[in-house]
Parts: sequence; C-alpha cells; structure tokens
Amino acid sequence: MISFRYQDKGTAIHKLNPFCKLAWICGVLVLALLFDNPLYLLALFVSTLPLVWAARVGKEWASIMKLSLYLCLLVIVINALVSNQGSHVLYQFPFHIPIWGTPKITLEAILCGIGNAVRLTAIISAFAILTLTLHPDNLMLAMIKMKLPYKSVLVTSLATRFVPTLIDDIGTITDVQQSRGLELNKGGLRQKIRGRMTIIIPLLSNSLDRTFQVAEAMESRAFGNGAKRTFYNRIGMSAVDIAILAFLFLLLAMGISMSLLGQGEYSYYPTLGGMNIGLLEGLMLSILALLLFMMLPLAYLKRRIDLD
Amino acid sequence: MIRMDSLTFCYSGASIPALKDINLEIGDGEFVLVTGPSGGGKSTLCRCLNGLIPHFHGGRITGRVEVGGLDVIKHPTKELATTVGMVFQDPENQLVAMDVEREIAFGLENLAFPRDVIAKRIEESLDTLGISSLRYRPLHELSGGEKQKVAIASILALHPDIVVLDEPTSELDPKGAEEVLSIVERLNDELGITVVLIEHRLDRVIHLVDRVIVMHEGRAIADGGARDIFDNGEIADIGVGIPPIIKLVQKLKQKGVSLDNIPLTVKEGRVMLEKVFRERGRKTLPQDERVKGKPIIEIENLWHVYPQGLTALKNVSLRICEGEFVAIMGRNASGKSTLVKHVNGLLKPTKGRVRVAGIDTREATIAEMAQRVGYVFQNPNDHLFADTVQEEVAFTLKNLGYRGREIASRVDEMLERFNLKEYSRQYPRSLSGGERQRVALASVLVAHPQVLILDEPTRGMEYRLKSELMQFLEEYRDRGNTVILVTHDVETVAEHADRVILLGEGRVVVDGSKRDVLSQALLFSPQVNRLVQAFEKYGVPGDILTADEALDLLI
Repeated sequence: MISFRYQDKGTAIHKLNPFCKLAWICGVLVLALLFDNPLYLLALFVSTLPLVWAARVGKEWASIMKLSLYLCLLVIVINALVSNQGSHVLYQFPFHIPIWGTPKITLEAILCGIGNAVRLTAIISAFAILTLTLHPDNLMLAMIKMKLPYKSVLVTSLATRFVPTLIDDIGTITDVQQSRGLELNKGGLRQKIRGRMTIIIPLLSNSLDRTFQVAEAMESRAFGNGAKRTFYNRIGMSAVDIAILAFLFLLLAMGISMSLLGQGEYSYYPTLGGMNIGLLEGLMLSILALLLFMMLPLAYLKRRIDLD
Repeated sequence: MIRMDSLTFCYSGASIPALKDINLEIGDGEFVLVTGPSGGGKSTLCRCLNGLIPHFHGGRITGRVEVGGLDVIKHPTKELATTVGMVFQDPENQLVAMDVEREIAFGLENLAFPRDVIAKRIEESLDTLGISSLRYRPLHELSGGEKQKVAIASILALHPDIVVLDEPTSELDPKGAEEVLSIVERLNDELGITVVLIEHRLDRVIHLVDRVIVMHEGRAIADGGARDIFDNGEIADIGVGIPPIIKLVQKLKQKGVSLDNIPLTVKEGRVMLEKVFRERGRKTLPQDERVKGKPIIEIENLWHVYPQGLTALKNVSLRICEGEFVAIMGRNASGKSTLVKHVNGLLKPTKGRVRVAGIDTREATIAEMAQRVGYVFQNPNDHLFADTVQEEVAFTLKNLGYRGREIASRVDEMLERFNLKEYSRQYPRSLSGGERQRVALASVLVAHPQVLILDEPTRGMEYRLKSELMQFLEEYRDRGNTVILVTHDVETVAEHADRVILLGEGRVVVDGSKRDVLSQALLFSPQVNRLVQAFEKYGVPGDILTADEALDLLI
C-alpha cells in the first residue's frame, strides 16, 4: 500500500522550514484564486511539479492526483449541466424549467469547467506536496507559534497519530465479520449499510475505549499541568529561511499587483475571451513564472547553507 | 514510600466497592508483584498510587493513600507525575507523539522543564533502555515490545521514585515480554526505583520480586515473600496461575513427600528435586494414543505473497485431520496468521492449493467457508456490535442463511453451553472480559463448524479463564472436530494440544507430536520439561511436559 503520510526522505524539500512551506502554500492558494486565465493556472500547476520530483514523492503524489482527477471530472460535468450561459450551444435539453429557462450544454461552460479543474489540480498538488513533506509535529509547532491554542493543535495531531491504528483496526474487524459469514457486497443498499455497521460499531467502540486509555496515560504524564508548557523542538529561523519568506512575499505581492492591474483575468461567457497578452503583461507573467520556479533552487540553496 | 490506610474505593455507579479496607506499606526500593484473578482490584489498586483514582476515575473513596509524603486525595495526578510513573497494558494507547524523541519529551514539556534539561533527560532515557537507535523512528512502525520500551523511557525521563506497571507484557510476544521484564528488573536493581508490577505470568517474574500481593474481590488476601505465598495451596483455588514447577512441588508436598522449600526457578527446582527423581523416576509413562480421523485440511505447496511484495508463506504443505488439536507456533511475522487465514478463505493462495473438507478455498466465498471453519480472533471486542448477546450470536446464522426457529434453537443451545443465558438481553460490550470472550466464541461456534481456529486467544488472559477455554476446546475436539490454536503460550500447548507446527520465515520448521517438538529444547520447552532434562540420567523419560505428568511418574 502506498502511504499518504509524511515520511522523512531527507530531501531539500523535506528540510525546508515549515513556515516557508506554509507561506508557499498560502502563495499558491492566493494566486490560484486570484487568476482566472487558464494559462496562468496551468503555469501554477506546472510550477509544483519540480518540487514533487525533488522531494521524491512521485508515487504518493500520483495516487493523490489520481483521486483528484475524479473530482475534476465532477467539476466539469456539474458546471456543464448547471451553467446556462455561453453562446455555442452543443446540446439543448428538450424541456423547460420555470425561471431557469431551457437547460443546455455549451462549449463555454465545458471549457470553464476545465479551467476550474486546472485551478483545483494546482491547489491539490500543492497540498499533496505539503502533507507528504511536512512532519505533522512540525506543522503543529508552526501552528502553535502562530498563536493557535495548544490543546486544539494537540487534538489534531493526536488524530493523525491514530490513523494507522484505525486502519489496522478496520482490517481486523472486517476479517472478523467476514469470518462470521458477512458478505459485504451482497444485497441492496440497506443490507449493505447494515453490513458496514457491523464493522463501524466495533471500530467506534474500540476507539472510544482507546480515548479513555490515552487520556489516562496523558494525565499520568502531567498533561494539563498549570505551568506554562515548554517545547523541546523548535523551529529555528535562519537568515536563509527569512530570505525565502521574503521572497515568497515578493511573489505574492507580484501576483496581487498583477491582479490589480487586471492581468490574469479571463471570461468564458458569453463567448470565450481572447488570450492576447500585452507587452507589460507578458513581461510580468514571465517574472512571475520565474519566481514560481525559484522555489526549488532556493530549497537546494538552503540545504547547501545548512550543511556548511 | 507508599502507605495505604483502610483504603476503600467504589467506582461511581457500582454497587460493590472495588477495593475494601486496604492497609499496605511499601518501602523504598521494593519490587512488588501484584497478582490475582481479573476483577480482583489489581488495576484499581495501582491507579490509586498516582491519583488517577480518585481524580480521573470518579467514585467514593475513604481512607488514606500517601505516596512519597504526598496525600494522593489532595494532589491530582499531574502533581504526582514526578513521584509515580505509570506504564499501561496496551503500548499503542499510551503514546501520543509521532516519533520516539518527541514522545519522551512530552511529559517533560508538560512540566515546563527547560530545553537543555529535556535534551539531557531524553539522552539518558534512551540509553538506559538501549533504544537510542529508535530515536527518530515514527511510533507506528515500532513493534509492540519497542513501543512498550518507549513508554517506559518516557516515564523514566520524569525521574520518578516509583514505577507502576499495569500488565505491561500482556499485549506482547514472548521476546518483547522478556525484554520489557528484564528492563523492569534493572530499574529496580540498578536504579533503586520502587517497582509495583501487575502480571499474570508468574513464572517469568516470581524469582525477581521481593514481595507478592494477591488481590481478590477487592482485598489483599495474601502479602509476603514469594515462597511463603506459594507454600499454601489456597492461592491456586482463586485462580492464580501457579508456575508449573511450584505446582509440582505443592502437589508432592500434599502427597507427603518431604520438601522444605518452594523452588522459584528451574535451577532451584533441579537442586531441590534431584533426590526425588533419582529415587522414584523410573516408571514409564503410558503413551497417549489418540485415534485420528480422516484428513479435513489439506494444504499443498502453498505460497502467499502480499500485494506489498512480502512473501509470507513459502511452499507450505500440511495435512490436518479430524479430531486433532494443533498448535501453530513461531516468532512474530513467521507466517502463523497468514497460514490460518488461508483455512477459512480470508486469504487465497498465491500459488498452491488449500482444501477444507474437500472444498478448494479458491472456489468458495468466505461466507461459504464459515459454515465449516470458525475463526475466533484475539480481541473479542472486534466481534461485538449487536445490542444484545442473543442478536450477536444470531448474526452469524442469519449471514449463513438460516431462518426463524432454527436460529432460535441454535442460539439457545449456545447460550446454554457458554453460561450466557442470564445475559442474553444485555449489551455484549458491557460484560466482563471473560464473558465477552465467551460471547465471541458462541457467535462463531453457533454455525457448528468442523474446524475452529483461535488466534492467540490466551494472550493476556488470566489463568482461570484460560483453563475454562482450554477445557472447552478439548471437549470440542473430542467430538471429532479440529482445533487450530495460534499461540506463543508454551505451557498451554504442553497441556492441551496434540500436535505442534512450528513456523519460521514462512516455512514449516518442525511438525510433530507435542512431545517431540516441545521436549529437549532450550527456552522453547515448558518449565517442567526443562526441569526433567537434567534427570534423564536417572531413567526419567525426557519427554515429560507438564506438572501432572511428572506427578504421575513420581507418585
């Protein structure tokens, strides 16, 4: 089974400062939401690919992306069916819905769906890289540093901690009930749900028992002690990390100002907009792309400096 | 120093107190073993030592508990954390971080120790337990034994004066258990830490402890040195698992053989009993000839490769007959579970063939196999989902297509057989551990399978429940059925099985009668066999396995 969890592969991407990674993901997210032009969004997606390669998480990343493909398909289909705009009608439904009008499928709606799917893919790809290369405890530390309450952060981290246990539990309980003659794929929906319940109930009850035991163990190790807690692990910020952060802000500022200048806009309706990119816009887009692709060299640079 | 003065505790909602009038004093540096049947109050007693009772588990408490000069009733658990460290039964459920280093730091961080102190404590805890190689490993990749060591390390980092361990080995395989117990011994011997240990398997610890406390029905019914405690035979009657050598000596004494002491180890036993065996040990044992039926499980050249690429079984061929009681043994990950899962079709052969009662498992669904093969898993909680015991047992039959009256009569028969009639309308998960095990067993046996598989059913089980279960399995075998027991428990196998199959690295290493396989081995032999191995020169048969057999020979 391919693990979707963090594994320390020791690459430059894994060693990047957690704050830098969080800043990067915020950057990708903001840019993905600011721009509508599918070209821009595609560039954003492509800019995540070198990181996948450098972090050596290709297999895991690919299986996450495979899942996101279904999501994209769904976005495209729904957009095509629901959107009533666009001038190139490919198919007109033979009925009429009051207020809405006659539903139809247009070329523009399909392309708009595809554009949004690209946006989604870019975001998912970035998040996949984040979860595969950021140690959950470091994420926790970063969140605490950003003044999120410790207890809520700990709960999140505990939940991740028990995912493998839960998966093992599901396997065993499924074996148990199948050995008692349960057939998971037999019967109608109702019977199937009832069958799944024989797995879910022991699973939940076992987890509940586990909760109490974990609480006991935490209590025994002075959890919730009145004094202020210390943190053994620290996320140190070196000069390089600050430089990378600054760089990421530059990237973001660049993106925002482009968006304010009206660049990266695109309209699908009523007919597809043109893609004529002016001189200024072309220049700025090239700079943005350059900045985007700088992430990898920066990660290598940081590693070099850390090693020295 | 621990002191309990007329301590009585009753869990909220319970009508009978879990502890009744306990008066105890445990001195600094003592190694105390707490044992007794389940439900006797062992865990409750231990939870009073670090304030989990009454601060975490509410209830009515009277009397006084004082630990290291602190009144437990006035000081909550977190204030006691640096005085009393507590290690729990399930290694999985007491670890909270993602990797070993952070786990050890957790308690220290809670107590707001400065970072340089934490660094030092982590270092010394890792070294004390010899687990520095695990430092950055994620916890979910560790074995049970390793996890338990991490749990001990994370307690030790707080520098407690007292360490309390609540059945720390019951979820572990023998190797892990052995390692954990030798660490516990070192904590006491070399670091001078007071140790309070709850444990069922007395043979592994009895010679290490200074003192044994036996808990039964909320009272400390016996308290003293190990030899004194086991000199009277009454302890066995309440269901404490007496190590076989001690049992042998107790019985010999009852028969009038004069022995002035109780042996705690094989070594002591050999010295003490040499004279007895030299003078009387010449009889030959009647050979146990059991008539085997026709083959029911036929495994031919079985290979199994998991999708991840692990080859778990390599060319296994076996034939198991009706009326056989087979124990499957071997290290962890030697292929035991993989093998038995082929018998009821949960796994299908990658190569080779498995036939049960003439049916090729590749051509039958798991549900079809469930008519013939029952499979009881280790943890009864994984079985139980229904609202009542009756529905739980009926579920299996409904799956198999039985209807109405047939179900009712069969369920009735099972509830009767397992003494569950009075609980038939109760929620199965609210029953005691032994009762839940019986419900799980009933829910499998209600299909009247010809083959019954049990995967480590006795792990962490107390002696009395274990002997009840084994007695039932023998009866079931005597009716011409086949029992397959996956286990690490050598003593149980020595007493109850007919045949032992030892697996190693996915192959059958040895397959033979239990006498051939279990005698003349080193650690793998049962205790009594290790004892008599020294007396073969006096004509004592070297394949004696149990205390009863040795007794037959001598009396």
